[in-house]
Amino acid sequence: MKQSRRDFLKKSGCALGMVTLATQFEHFGMMSALAQKTIDAENLGGDNYKALVVVFLAGGNDGNNTVIPNHSSTTLSNYATYSAARSAQGLALPQASLLPITVPRMGGLDYGLHPALGTVANGVNNGIHELWAQQKMAIVPNCGTLVRPTTKTQYQTASHPKPYQLYSHSDQVEQAQAGRSGTPSITGWGGKLADKLHLGSNPTGLLPMVTSISGAQLFTTGQNFLPLAINDSNTSLSNVLNPQGFGTSATQVARLNAFNQLRTQDLSSNYVAAASHVTDLAIQANSALATFQEVTVTFPNTSIGRQLKQVARLVKKRLDLNVNRQVFYCQIGGFDTHNGQLNTQATQLSQFSQAARAFYDEMVAQGVQNNVTLFTMSDFGRTFNPAGTGTGVVGSDHAWGNHLFVIGGSVLGGDFYGVNTSNGTPFPTLTFGGIDDADSGTSARGRWIPTTAVDQYAATLANWFGLQAADVPYVFPNLANFPTSNLGFMS
Amino acid sequence: MNSNKSRLFVYFLSVGLMMMSLVFPVLADYDPEIDPNSPEPILLSEDGTTRALAVERFSGKRTSLEKIESRAFAPESSVVVFVTNLDLMKDEGADAFRAYIETKEGRQYRFPVLNIQPVPGREWIYAMTILLKDEVGFWEPPTADGDVLLRISWRGMTSNRVRLGYGAIGGNVRDDAGAVPTPVKQFSKPPVKEQVDNYVGYRWSGDRLRLLEQATFGPNPALDARIRRIGLKVWLNEQFNAPYPSANYPYPNFPLVSTTVPNTCNGSENPTGTPPDPPDTYPLCFRDHYTMYPLQNWFFKEAFYGDSQLRHRVAWALNQMWVTSGLDIQQSRYMTEYHKILSNNAFGNFRTLMKEMTLNPAMGEYLDMRRSTRNSPNENYPREILQLFTIGLYMLNQNGTVQTDANNNPIPSYDQTTVNNFTKVFTGWSLCETTGTCPNRSLDGPNYIDPMLLNQANHDVTAKTLLSYPNAVNTNIPANTNGNTELDLALDNIFYHPNVGPFVSRYMIQHLVTSDPTPAYVGRVAAVFNNNGSGVRGDMKAVVKAILLDPEARGNVKTDPNFGKLREPVLLLTNLFRAFNVRSADGTQQSDGVVAQLSNNMLQNPFYPPTVFNFYAPGFVVPGTTLNGPEFGIMTTGTSITRANFVNTMVFSRVNVSVPTIPNGTSLDFSELQALATADPTGNQLMDALNQKMMHNAMPSAMRETIRTAVLAVPSTTPLVRAQQAVYLVATSSQYQVQR
Repeated sequence: MKQSRRDFLKKSGCALGMVTLATQFEHFGMMSALAQKTIDAENLGGDNYKALVVVFLAGGNDGNNTVIPNHSSTTLSNYATYSAARSAQGLALPQASLLPITVPRMGGLDYGLHPALGTVANGVNNGIHELWAQQKMAIVPNCGTLVRPTTKTQYQTASHPKPYQLYSHSDQVEQAQAGRSGTPSITGWGGKLADKLHLGSNPTGLLPMVTSISGAQLFTTGQNFLPLAINDSNTSLSNVLNPQGFGTSATQVARLNAFNQLRTQDLSSNYVAAASHVTDLAIQANSALATFQEVTVTFPNTSIGRQLKQVARLVKKRLDLNVNRQVFYCQIGGFDTHNGQLNTQATQLSQFSQAARAFYDEMVAQGVQNNVTLFTMSDFGRTFNPAGTGTGVVGSDHAWGNHLFVIGGSVLGGDFYGVNTSNGTPFPTLTFGGIDDADSGTSARGRWIPTTAVDQYAATLANWFGLQAADVPYVFPNLANFPTSNLGFMS
Repeated sequence: MNSNKSRLFVYFLSVGLMMMSLVFPVLADYDPEIDPNSPEPILLSEDGTTRALAVERFSGKRTSLEKIESRAFAPESSVVVFVTNLDLMKDEGADAFRAYIETKEGRQYRFPVLNIQPVPGREWIYAMTILLKDEVGFWEPPTADGDVLLRISWRGMTSNRVRLGYGAIGGNVRDDAGAVPTPVKQFSKPPVKEQVDNYVGYRWSGDRLRLLEQATFGPNPALDARIRRIGLKVWLNEQFNAPYPSANYPYPNFPLVSTTVPNTCNGSENPTGTPPDPPDTYPLCFRDHYTMYPLQNWFFKEAFYGDSQLRHRVAWALNQMWVTSGLDIQQSRYMTEYHKILSNNAFGNFRTLMKEMTLNPAMGEYLDMRRSTRNSPNENYPREILQLFTIGLYMLNQNGTVQTDANNNPIPSYDQTTVNNFTKVFTGWSLCETTGTCPNRSLDGPNYIDPMLLNQANHDVTAKTLLSYPNAVNTNIPANTNGNTELDLALDNIFYHPNVGPFVSRYMIQHLVTSDPTPAYVGRVAAVFNNNGSGVRGDMKAVVKAILLDPEARGNVKTDPNFGKLREPVLLLTNLFRAFNVRSADGTQQSDGVVAQLSNNMLQNPFYPPTVFNFYAPGFVVPGTTLNGPEFGIMTTGTSITRANFVNTMVFSRVNVSVPTIPNGTSLDFSELQALATADPTGNQLMDALNQKMMHNAMPSAMRETIRTAVLAVPSTTPLVRAQQAVYLVATSSQYQVQR
């Protein structure tokens, strides 16, 4: 007879019950006695369920080739502005190839999405472009790391507080994931949401609130709770945390007992304790994942497709897992397109679009499209001025503000959101060395100074997710520096 | 043996016996060949309690250690505590120490140590000034409402823990089990250094095995015997001069081929551009030329069997610093040429490494320098050589700590303008395709062997302003400087930046010894980087030697809770394999080295790091703690299980032969353990052997008994299973997963 997961847990009970760690990490699911009674807790995994799903476009997606002016307005940067800046080097996308979107916030002007966001060869769906017209997708243009609102003049003022190490991958990723710019952080805003919401929302949750399908990420790390991190859907949920080699023979049972007991012993080394703790978390979660139901929508067989498919499986299992709030982290790399951008970005964006659309459709199939919101983040935008020349070669370098997507049934889609720049719209003026360019002079390369902070963007999502006003400063310490704490794209 | 308490008791015994040695402790030269062990510091307490002997300020002779009254200390104030049983070297000061407190909530905080000075008349006791201000900021500041437990650490050794009133005296923080008072009256004489038999030539030297964990891909009996015979220093010299690659494991030597995969090579099932995951499912021609398969297998065989272990290990560390990736580098030959630069310079000069790597075509491809021109400059390489390879983002002190400005903000070491200027410097270089000039030019494919060549016409000849620092070299490069000349000027501008020594030193220490070295350790190694004793800067041989022979690295046992490093997957794998005579699946010949997939399952696929930021970042903080632990960047719930499953596969099974991809397979040999399990049904001999082979004789007694109990649950009629049971449990234990 095969040993059940519950038996496994029971047999390792001595290990799990006695764990006291130097860092005093409270175990998820063990704090139910302390949990505040909330309305949510009455209906775990039911109508009140909400999930946030990050898709991180790692490397810094070139927003300039993702959302493009597709009009000839004389008062705003138009397609000709764009083409003039990028066509000589071969980086401009042909106007005819753009997928049109009409933007009320821009006075009803047309903008265009990168063609890879629509139907593509060998696609499994029509991509995310359609969701714009269905008003299930919003765009927040020129969003980025900021300590406080920053004009070009302020940017050039040494004393004005700015994000540290602009244009550096690791530092910009860190600040975007932390939900705070200007100061290094060792916790992220996903993890900090769990710090404030896990006990109240998931008092008997069988998994941590935050799950990464893409390894250890700052975003997922809170002060009091560790995230789960698991493989993508190539590994079934029932195997994803399952230690092999343990059956019912006396030898195996003795091995399992010792395996579990060892993690409770000799924890005076903090590294040893940390390794033991993360393994404990895995073993505990494993017991909740023995069975699952497969999703019904076809996901693309790409890394991001498999990651989002794994998320969809967990969403489908929410009732079993006793969870009312979940945060998921997925990532698609390859956006650091210093060269060969035309092909690479098209491939990466189509993978993102195909996967995100499959995920949205699956949420519809599960009837939870209004409960689940997917959104993008990225390291930074890229220089408007291309790097290199020629179709196979041309790319772009590191910059700052970027255009981000939010997708879901609760999104007030079909529009741009965010803070206006001096042109009266949230979309930057695409002029080298101009009012929205952090660079100046003849070699200015077009690195847009964000008008909307990632803090505002994140806080809008967190507000929808249920973060209480009193807890906002804990999660987003700099949010008070900005006049608007809610960008209004969530219903 | 390995517990601080027992050490303390040994000390007290020896105090009773000690009537000699009235000489004040002198600043001794540390010699790891004589005794690798540093003593464990002892924090003094008040008489009859474990409360720290502590004052607000120390006034030399006017402070009577016998008349100190208990009191509490305010947050952000400084406190002076007293410590003995040290053996300081010349120049070893406050930055060799760390102070940690634990609160009643179990939270740990790190406080800066500001000063340490001997007590006049009792120079074996030191007054240590600690600022009660959290250095890390992970938790909100501790509540100032009662006692906390204070420890200090030094050279990887921890002191006893004493109570310190933080804001108030009292509260319910509990003393460590077995904690005893350590009043000043017990230290009326200079301590005698504990005599330890475990010097390098001693039969059971844990230190010798620890050195092998740090300097090789895993200890084995032959190396252990060698070092025991010739000593650490001679062995290191032997390693510095060992041929590389080892005689039986030459680099793969596939020729350059077309960048367009020929039809004869690609196979319809093999779409180009698909990440090779796993590479061994591809047709042979594609596999050998267009994936890192041959190089990976060579890498593992050299690690399993090669004699030039130290160079291979240092090259592996450099491989994770000067990163390129098979995700972007098309051919195994490209990567092989890149690896030759790492290994050639592992014991050479860092400045040579900088230049050869800058002009290496694989690096040129990976970070785009090979296409960067005057009219279309690319910032990728200029940014990363500064940020990741040489100086880092912030100005450093020689001991690796970050310099801060008046507002306590870190001082950046450069800005975007500097990057723009270096971008101009690095323009105009492309692959070497000039007949006569490029010996390895091939008609079959682009030349990724010879260094890149300057095309002055594509070089930006405007004037540049480079890094500025005290006594800076070549900050201003005049217009119209020849690009070749300019490259050397610019690399010197970087090389002489004061950050390079501490940046490289700390990085190498993290890879070889411990994730969070003390500033003093970094500073000692950086001093050697800056000057090897003969006036040479950047001598990597001297740096490696300094790292491995440092007192913070050496010793039989380290007791500091924050000492050590998680074994990265490659090292977890090779240590386990080398401990058990790794061989082919059938045991008749050597392994073929086709094991990258095992490592990939644990998120470390050699030669395929995901980005230029490597598999993990040097500054990674272990989630939920304040610990710097780079390798924890790939230690998640998911990989904690894949690591255990890797052990399960290799202990209870093997990598089976699968022709042609896996010609020999890989298995481990437990025959020696099996014999011990047969000879001794109590399991004690088995555990002794594992303690030595895997745990440098430092296995905690509880762990040993837990495992022995599980061993005894296996019928004695199946001694092999007993051996497997024990190896599985040691190898999956956190105690083994962390190299200490």
